[in-house]
Amino acid sequence: MNTPQQLAEVLTSLRMGNQSFLITFYEQNRSLFARWARRQHQLAPPAAHGLLRAVLVEFYDQAADGRLTKLPPDVRAYVYGMADEQTRAARTTAVLPQAEAGRRQRLLGLFRELGLDCQKMLMYFYFRGYNFEKMAGKMGFANANVARKQKAACLRKLYELQLRAAPTAAG
Amino acid sequence: MTPPTVDIRPYLEELERFADGQLNAAEQEAFEVRLEQDAGLYQAYQAYEQLTADLRWVAGHETLFQRLLALDLRLDQRQEALQRIRRRVRRVQRQWAGAALVGALLLLAVWWFWPAAPATEATWTRYYVPEAGLTDAVVRENQRPLLAEAMRQYRDGHYTPALYALRRMPSNTIGQDTLTYYNGIFLLSQQEPAQILASQPFLRRVAMQSGSALAGRARYHLGMAYWRNQQITAARNTLRAVANDTRNPYQDAARQVLRSGVIKDK
Repeated sequence: MNTPQQLAEVLTSLRMGNQSFLITFYEQNRSLFARWARRQHQLAPPAAHGLLRAVLVEFYDQAADGRLTKLPPDVRAYVYGMADEQTRAARTTAVLPQAEAGRRQRLLGLFRELGLDCQKMLMYFYFRGYNFEKMAGKMGFANANVARKQKAACLRKLYELQLRAAPTAAG
Repeated sequence: MTPPTVDIRPYLEELERFADGQLNAAEQEAFEVRLEQDAGLYQAYQAYEQLTADLRWVAGHETLFQRLLALDLRLDQRQEALQRIRRRVRRVQRQWAGAALVGALLLLAVWWFWPAAPATEATWTRYYVPEAGLTDAVVRENQRPLLAEAMRQYRDGHYTPALYALRRMPSNTIGQDTLTYYNGIFLLSQQEPAQILASQPFLRRVAMQSGSALAGRARYHLGMAYWRNQQITAARNTLRAVANDTRNPYQDAARQVLRSGVIKDK
């Protein structure tokens, strides 16, 4: 995991949507990180776990959208550094007006307003790349056609949420 | 965020079918031609592409977020289960330690309270020379069957029946001092504190009768009864008298007890 070759492979697989590296990282480092966060930032374990999850998701976002061009040689130190930054930022900017959230962040917020079934279907289709057949199996639909229609309905719902949110965003 | 400039809803279904590869070859070709000619469709297509690109990012982000959340729950449950097991093990260990402590205290208490009495008892038994009882020749069974019965029971170690037999004897068939003496002996032989105490008046009465042949022997048994009841001074004085009496058959026994120095307070 530490040779440049292996690091490059991890970054590539992350970009291709293979998240297992981060899942394993979380499993192996959760309690260690919680101890560090309690000492360093006086965080209770559940809050520390939440912070680590947020940092790992941010790490993944950086890798996926190309902000991270090279995987840091010491991933743990990098993640701890990010956590440090996040807690400090949270402390100093909590009262400041939020900078205008990015388009994706807004879409993320709208996405979370959808029902759980819709969220699941859109994740299956747009992230995991399941075809309608497989999605019907996962969701317990009669056939692929039902899955296709359901997915279309969910996408329309999300788009309509975006339309409704747009005027306020513009204003 | 840039608000969507065009409403893609009218085109949404065919855009989706195109993007998801649901059109056949002819339909796809027709759609591509329209895309080049219909500006509204083209704008909608652009907006749709941006939406789905963003949605792909959101879906990846959210998938990881939810996977981590589920993993977190699993890890919490595992940790809780481990803690439960650890607590149970600790509880069992505590119970065992408690039981061991109680056992040790019990043993200590037994050791503390037990030894004194049994030690005296054991020493007493070691030094005590029991009365042999009357021989058959002396008893003459055909004349005094109850006395013979009492002696047999006594020799067999059945002291209570021996005592009953003795007490049923008519007083004219045997000397009063003999009756009293054996009353005392049978009581003393039972080795119960109450009986030993009860034997003392009988033995004392015989020991005081200087004319009786049994007086010396009664004195020895009385001395031993005193010792057994922890009446140390009385025991010592009585046994000393026995030890100084050359005609006493128990002289040696009394001397031995006194010399060994075992008669002392607990």
